[in-house]
Amino acid sequence: MIRRMIAAVAAATVALAPAAAISPAQAADPVVFTVGMLNDIDSLNPFTGILAESYEMFQLQYATLLSSSATDFTPAPGLAESWEESADGSTWTYTLRPDLVWSDGTPLTANDVVYTFNRILDGRYEQRNYGSYVRNITSVEATDDRTVVMTVAAPSPIMERLAVYILPEHVWSGVDAKAVKSFANEPEAGQTLVGSGPFLVTERRSGQFIRMVANDTYFNGRPAVDELVFRVYNNPDALGQALIKGEVDFASGLTADVFSTLEGKEGITTYAGGYSGFNELAFNMGAALTDGTPIGDGNPHMQDQQVRLAISHAIDRQQLVDRILDGYGTPGSTVIPPVYPTLHVDPGTQSYDPALANQILDDAGYAMGPDGVRVGPDGEPMRYRLFVRSDSDTSVRSGEFFKNYMAAVGIEAEIKPVDENALFEIIGRGEFDMFEWGWVVEPDPDYQLSTFTCGKRSYEDGGEIYADLSDSFFCDEEYDRLYSAQAVETDQTARAALVQQMQTIIYDQVAYVVTYYYDNLEAFRSDRFTGFVGQPEGTGSLLFQYGTHSYEAVEPISADDGGTDPTSSPSPGATTAAEEPAETAQSSSSTGLIIGLIVAALVIIGLVVLLVRMRSKSAADTKE
Amino acid sequence: MSLLQEVAVGEPDPIRTPRVSGSTLRVVVSKVVRAIITLAFVVVFNFFLFRMLPGDPIGLYTRGRNQDAEQIAQLRRDLNKPLWEQFITYISNPFDPGIDSTRFSRPVWELIGERIWPTILLLGTAIVLASIIGIWLGIRAGWKPGGRFDKVSTGTTLTLYSMPEFWLGMMLLIVFGVGAFGIPGFFPVGGISTPGVDTSSPAGWLNVLWHLVLPCTTLLLIYLADYALVMRASLIDERKQEYLMLARAKGLRDAMVRKKHAVPNALLPTITLIFLSLGFVVTGAITVETVYSWPGLGLLTYEALRGPDIPLLQAVFLVFSIAVVGANLIAELLYIVIDPRVRQ
Repeated sequence: MIRRMIAAVAAATVALAPAAAISPAQAADPVVFTVGMLNDIDSLNPFTGILAESYEMFQLQYATLLSSSATDFTPAPGLAESWEESADGSTWTYTLRPDLVWSDGTPLTANDVVYTFNRILDGRYEQRNYGSYVRNITSVEATDDRTVVMTVAAPSPIMERLAVYILPEHVWSGVDAKAVKSFANEPEAGQTLVGSGPFLVTERRSGQFIRMVANDTYFNGRPAVDELVFRVYNNPDALGQALIKGEVDFASGLTADVFSTLEGKEGITTYAGGYSGFNELAFNMGAALTDGTPIGDGNPHMQDQQVRLAISHAIDRQQLVDRILDGYGTPGSTVIPPVYPTLHVDPGTQSYDPALANQILDDAGYAMGPDGVRVGPDGEPMRYRLFVRSDSDTSVRSGEFFKNYMAAVGIEAEIKPVDENALFEIIGRGEFDMFEWGWVVEPDPDYQLSTFTCGKRSYEDGGEIYADLSDSFFCDEEYDRLYSAQAVETDQTARAALVQQMQTIIYDQVAYVVTYYYDNLEAFRSDRFTGFVGQPEGTGSLLFQYGTHSYEAVEPISADDGGTDPTSSPSPGATTAAEEPAETAQSSSSTGLIIGLIVAALVIIGLVVLLVRMRSKSAADTKE
Repeated sequence: MSLLQEVAVGEPDPIRTPRVSGSTLRVVVSKVVRAIITLAFVVVFNFFLFRMLPGDPIGLYTRGRNQDAEQIAQLRRDLNKPLWEQFITYISNPFDPGIDSTRFSRPVWELIGERIWPTILLLGTAIVLASIIGIWLGIRAGWKPGGRFDKVSTGTTLTLYSMPEFWLGMMLLIVFGVGAFGIPGFFPVGGISTPGVDTSSPAGWLNVLWHLVLPCTTLLLIYLADYALVMRASLIDERKQEYLMLARAKGLRDAMVRKKHAVPNALLPTITLIFLSLGFVVTGAITVETVYSWPGLGLLTYEALRGPDIPLLQAVFLVFSIAVVGANLIAELLYIVIDPRVRQ
């Protein structure tokens, strides 16, 4: 209480005192690392939130059993220091680190893990975000305070990827199955949320910011910064300006145009990190329900592998990277991006070659028609609907490029822009020929690979057809067999071989033309902070990773390491003297306030003077 | 009798209460009844409007979740109540605190409650300031049309009016937020308060005011022309009226003629405009809220539309309708007070 009062007095002083009086108070100020992002979170409740921003808060607030290494995403220790699969693959044993405690001092034991998993296993609402992790688990038991044993229905590599946030039983047992649905999980009256991650949420303002404080009891040691603030900016230009001004120390998810204006600015380092997302041109390979019943009205030409292959050869992926992404990305190949080096494979056979594309179509019997549009063996012209997402600028622009590429080989694409929600349903009903969209791929490839299995095609329920995960309606017996095999392969190397085989099948069958892997564009104040860790190291994103690596490592630049290079990129402003920038930002904000008030006062005085003058002038008018 | 009228007109001071006849009361009652009918219609229409939206609500609700087709199908069966049953649930209490947003999984009225105050603060301040300054400019310009003041003020306000909000906002942000052309950036780039500042303290209020300056100025500059031009035009009209000649003939000073005779009559259209625009105070100014990252209702609506988050949209539309209908009603009732012709 007393501390809070002092803080309030201090805040008042900062806001009201003249700039000169502020400096002495700075010494004890906490180190605040501020991240600017373009989306607010949807919820702090880990059973509710689904946005990437929300997941970032969850993993900072609550540790998981295992984490993903910064080097190459391989499973790494989290709350569990070791884990083991039984010889027959039927149980997994996780051993927690010794002496774990929650941020409120309560011991964190195997019982909390059991509580969390059982809550998900038993709760329908709780399964919404974690259903696929627990589907295979039949029981979760604590054999002692530090040991959790999970029994599984079948061997599964997902057991090393359980991104389930372990919740404190002593807090969450008060939130019953009914209350959890609208439980906000937000801190009340300055209390921090009880957690086990490196930072703890202490304040949230919807649409504005999330403020977190360092967790003294974090098992990897207390982070070097005292406070972590996420501020929401509603447009990328303002976010870029906020970084220049120093209102934020890190700008995440920038657009290419803002990113390039920040390049070379003093004190700022821009960083285009490899990301786990890709965009694709997808084909309707024969829309059908899971039982094989055909649906939709896709053009049968799209079921001809030669047509899809020709289109793939007609597309200049490098030009798309240069023109759509301003160069911040890499040309695409398969559906597992190269940020996962152990899984990604690039057969490299579908290079940009319009002549070859024409040759393939000629050979396959699609002869050039008189109007420049080829005619298929069935007598129908090669004229297809190409859906693009009207809510995405890059999608609309990609559509124009695709149209031109295809026109060059005698294929006419009719661009149909619709919003994502509408497109989702159009795809589900199979009423398309081609579309442009993208995916973000998790470190565990299972989910992504499942979208190409026969079982994930659309389904019927109560007379209506609904989309499942498949949007290309790819269905291949060999592929499905490999999918089932990788799902139970717990040897990572053997599994990677299977996963690469599957990617090659999709690539050779051209279910997708993966156009590019886009970079995650980030920029930060390298004159203030250093120590960021990329995932994968050296090339990957600095924040919004699988794990909290950068947040744990980031530290303010101090007098003695003023020359250190933050991460791999050189930074022009890194040599700026210590402490000073942060101080300038603080005092300039309060000076700004004072000056603002003075200006406001001047304006009011000016108005009054003007009014008085007017009055005397009009009095003079009447005298004339 | 008189008590009733006072309540209806909302004017407690008996001396200043205009002479009200029975017909006035009838006018007031009919206007109130009409507003209520409009609202009732909106409440009903609101329900069907969002149910006519194409799309599969469950599909939207479960997108991005870790759920398989079977779980989704189960959910769809659970929530597949007939339309009339849904309607009865809705109409029995459209303001039910139990209505949850599908995107945020929190009560919609709680979300709106959080976001409505920043919007009222921003737009309220901007509209009040714009109307005061605009009316002042309009009077000055309209009294001597074609004069130097008129040329400068009309030219300036029209130029500001035709600027894209986004561009003007961004320019002010760069110049006064970040600093350019030698002007240091006094003001914050975005948000409504600095994280960590207690907004319930006096220092916190100042902090909010400091954040308010740029977004409010942007809106003020753009809205200014509305009021200035309407005021100017109606004052020019009044100048031609014969009663002004009479006033002058009485030997009144020019300023008196303007203040006591011309302006009160010329104010009527501007007052209508002010009240109509007050109705839109809650709808937010989505562009300015976007530029300055102001956490208002406009942005919440945008987020709800992106979902689409139907319960939230429905609630937001209801709030908007109530505000607009309410402001219209107040404007109409106020006319009875300020314009004697309406009473007859």
